[in-house]
Amino acid sequence: MNFELPTLVALGSVYLSLLFGIAYITERGWIPQRVVRHPIVYVLSLGVFASIWAYYGVVGSAQREGYGYLANSIGISLAFMLSPLLLRPLLELTRTYQLSSLADLLAFRYRSPWVGTVTTLVILVGVTPLIALQIRAVADTADILSPAASHGSIAVGFCVLITLFAILFGTSRRPGRTQHDGLMMAIAFESLIKLFAFLVVGGFAIFGGFGGFDEMQEWLLTQPDLLGSLEDTNYFSSFHVMALLFFSAAVAMPHMFYVTFNGNAGRGALSFASWGLPLYFLLMSLPVLPILWAGIRGGSTVPVEYFPVAIGVAFDRPGISLLAYLGGLSAASGLIIVITLALSNMCLNHLILPIQQPAASKDIYRWLMQRRRVLITALIWAGFAFHYLPSDKISIQLMGTVAFAAGLQFLPGIVAILYWPLANKRGFFVGLASGVGIWFPLFMLPLLSETYSFSDIVINWRETAALSLIINCLAFIFGSLYFGSSDEERSSADLCTLDTIKRRKRSGLVAKSAGDFIKSLSKPLGERTATREVGQALKDLGLKKDDRRPYAMRLLRGRLEANLSGLLGPSIAREIIDSYLPYSIVSQHGSSDVTVIENRIEAYRSNLSGMAADLDNLRRYHRQILLDLPLGVCSLSSDREIIMWNRALEEFTEISSADVVGSQLSDLPEPWLTLLEDFIGEDIDHSYKQSFELSAAKRTVNLHKAFIEESGETGSNEGLIILMEDMTETEILEAGLTHSERLASIGRLAAGVAHEIGNPITGIACLAQIIRDEYKDSELTGLAQQIIEQTDRTSKILQSLVNFAHAGTNKLMHENERVLISDCIAQAQTLVSLDKKNKELQLEIDCDAEAAILGDSQRLLQVLINLINNARDASQAGGTIVLAAKNMGSHVHISVTDFGVGIPNAIKSRVFDPFFTTKEAGEGTGLGLSLVFSIVEDLNGNIDIISPFDRTRGTGTQVLLKFPCYDPQLAET
Amino acid sequence: MYIPRSILMLLVIIYLLFLLTVDWINAAGGLWWRPFVVAFIVVLVASWAHREQETDESE
Repeated sequence: MNFELPTLVALGSVYLSLLFGIAYITERGWIPQRVVRHPIVYVLSLGVFASIWAYYGVVGSAQREGYGYLANSIGISLAFMLSPLLLRPLLELTRTYQLSSLADLLAFRYRSPWVGTVTTLVILVGVTPLIALQIRAVADTADILSPAASHGSIAVGFCVLITLFAILFGTSRRPGRTQHDGLMMAIAFESLIKLFAFLVVGGFAIFGGFGGFDEMQEWLLTQPDLLGSLEDTNYFSSFHVMALLFFSAAVAMPHMFYVTFNGNAGRGALSFASWGLPLYFLLMSLPVLPILWAGIRGGSTVPVEYFPVAIGVAFDRPGISLLAYLGGLSAASGLIIVITLALSNMCLNHLILPIQQPAASKDIYRWLMQRRRVLITALIWAGFAFHYLPSDKISIQLMGTVAFAAGLQFLPGIVAILYWPLANKRGFFVGLASGVGIWFPLFMLPLLSETYSFSDIVINWRETAALSLIINCLAFIFGSLYFGSSDEERSSADLCTLDTIKRRKRSGLVAKSAGDFIKSLSKPLGERTATREVGQALKDLGLKKDDRRPYAMRLLRGRLEANLSGLLGPSIAREIIDSYLPYSIVSQHGSSDVTVIENRIEAYRSNLSGMAADLDNLRRYHRQILLDLPLGVCSLSSDREIIMWNRALEEFTEISSADVVGSQLSDLPEPWLTLLEDFIGEDIDHSYKQSFELSAAKRTVNLHKAFIEESGETGSNEGLIILMEDMTETEILEAGLTHSERLASIGRLAAGVAHEIGNPITGIACLAQIIRDEYKDSELTGLAQQIIEQTDRTSKILQSLVNFAHAGTNKLMHENERVLISDCIAQAQTLVSLDKKNKELQLEIDCDAEAAILGDSQRLLQVLINLINNARDASQAGGTIVLAAKNMGSHVHISVTDFGVGIPNAIKSRVFDPFFTTKEAGEGTGLGLSLVFSIVEDLNGNIDIISPFDRTRGTGTQVLLKFPCYDPQLAET
Repeated sequence: MYIPRSILMLLVIIYLLFLLTVDWINAAGGLWWRPFVVAFIVVLVASWAHREQETDESE
């Protein structure tokens, strides 16, 4: 069974075109985001790790080592299952600082461009065999299917196609900045194809090769060698080393780093992958043994590694062979595309940019893209050249082991990023040099040299790999301890190490606004690039362009460094940022920025447990107290930067804490700036009743301040805390109470005057009666009668005044008598008519003569007068007020209705609150309706307010009082 | 150093499972699929262990 070469080429071209099509429609947004960002896509894209090694190599490994072939799946699965220990913290770091490769990460942590350069060189040399391995496997399997085709021409054709597609895939977007959704979808698709093909081939091996499970079991029992290799699996030597190689590959291999940390899409994707990827590799491992056994039974003569393709040939099933070939092509192409993209980034950032940087006048993005394309091409063809070098006798497994052993040399450096703050670049160099010093002559050289004996190395590769790692670790530890860390390295360690939250002290920047940033960065980047980068950083942070807060400027600087790191690598980015956006004050190591510390603890909160969690709860509790304190709290640093602005202050000043925290005190708007600056400048700690105008209204505050001392150091000045107490309401109440007191005094005076006037009036009335009685039928009788009537009227008025003044003076002495409502209304009418404000008031009275209740007439009078006065205030001059009293069954309804503006809905619920008033200060006390409410309740009545009374016009208010009718029996009891 | 409790449990379970099943796997005879049963159990435990980790990841 042979295939024509054009068939295989066409199959490969169509398949790669399909991959590109998937990437294209994803980039165009034709696939919904919920699909693109689904964790399953992330898991499948991580399946890129299952390259030719996991597709073909494991079959040979299964023959030699039994279950030992599972070591690669177990290694990578453990890395993801234990992701909270390594991958998740690294993911946070790479996201925060836009680190797109291992070289970026190590250069960032060890603060040396040389670390990035050396890492790139070692990885470049180390993974070239891996690229060669993919090319060789594709060419070898094509050879099996089409023996007539030239091995070389197949490899060339594959490399041309893959170069084209890698360039198209990887350079359509800006490097390092955006997630390559299209690429990730395409890689996920190829992982799916690979898995499907392998499972189908495995299924065919069982049912096509043996006729079923039972038959395969029976055949296996007749193969003692195969059973023996499974039973003699050595889990404690090569298995462990191999698992460790693949564990470290999860971070150290460029393609895994690229997909794990740059392709992470949605929330929870890594958690999903922590069991999803192990499941993927479990499924990939399942068909390996049936394929191996079916190949042996079918008598395939090709190398064991290529049994997935060969069993179709052996059992004369061309479709199975073609599907297996497609799976292999998928595994190889996926890895080559991703690994060359990742490596091109590394080479650009750490090999090319340190030597040659684009001129500011050039389009930096185009410049970078062109070089990436060249690098991708060079890397693929370097792999092509390498695939000729190794002897055919060298297995796929060995080439893979060489590549993964190179990645192992970075494990100490990677682990130290998170767990060892004392690590430094010199220690890293010493360790890496020791490890690579063993790896290169014992692993790499035998691949390159025909004369070098390889057979001995094959036997001892496990010990050699383990030895290189141990020596690497020891050299790294001793080197780091011997040389010590620089201040810069310690700062970097603070940023990366788990459990450490020390940060640099806040420092001012020379650039004070986004405009200044653009101006400064235009020198190295050009105006267009600088504008775009600053704009992107502002967008990322959600900041406005006119934001000038120092805190915002520091954030902007950090984000720009991170974004430029994604574009140019961390070393160049840091160099540009340090040179062109310097701090105005040199910061000190060891001091802390409270805001940054809080943000860090907040982000890490769910990881705290035990005493740390309790302490954090205590911190949050204290912070919450300050935030919720009903007093305004403003905390300032020693350089007058605003650190805290609590909620009470937000409400009072109408300035959001988000707008003001991090800015200088001098950035505050008026009147707050003058108020606070004057107070801080004064030599007093408390200032009472400071008044100022705000929105055309007078506001009054009490201010208090205290200096914050560093714990344990008296006299040190860490900052200042200011308390602001809003006294505006209190002052209004005080004015109201003063007014009320004045009115009460007048009332008492009026009662006294009324009493004093009463005696002469009585005298006048007596004299008038005498005249009337003495001079009957004369003109004087009529005059005397008029005097008597007027004195009666005056007496009534005086009596009402005295009664009203005395009403409520003794709450325990209320009358409980029959109160005739009509009398009460008449008395109220008399009293209100004395107020000159009521001269134009039209009172309409509609009262049942018999309407009566049980209670105190003077208290009811007080209710009516208060309601009439309120109705008057709400009415227009000369307006009408209707007083009505009706017997309604067992109740008496008394209503006071005006036709004024009505009561706004917003304040309806508050009108009975004590001291609530809509009148100007001094005009009303806010106690009237509150008093009415309590009196009505005392009289067993209830009160309703209907406003608007006239619903069509939306005007008028009716206050409706309901009391039980007078009941003589009840009155007696 | 913070290690989530569920991850510690996962580690312990993997270790114990390995110790308990290694002989059972090696004595499989024709029952070659035994390691995959163990691996599947580990994956199930891992999916449980990572269930509570999802909230810790930022976008």
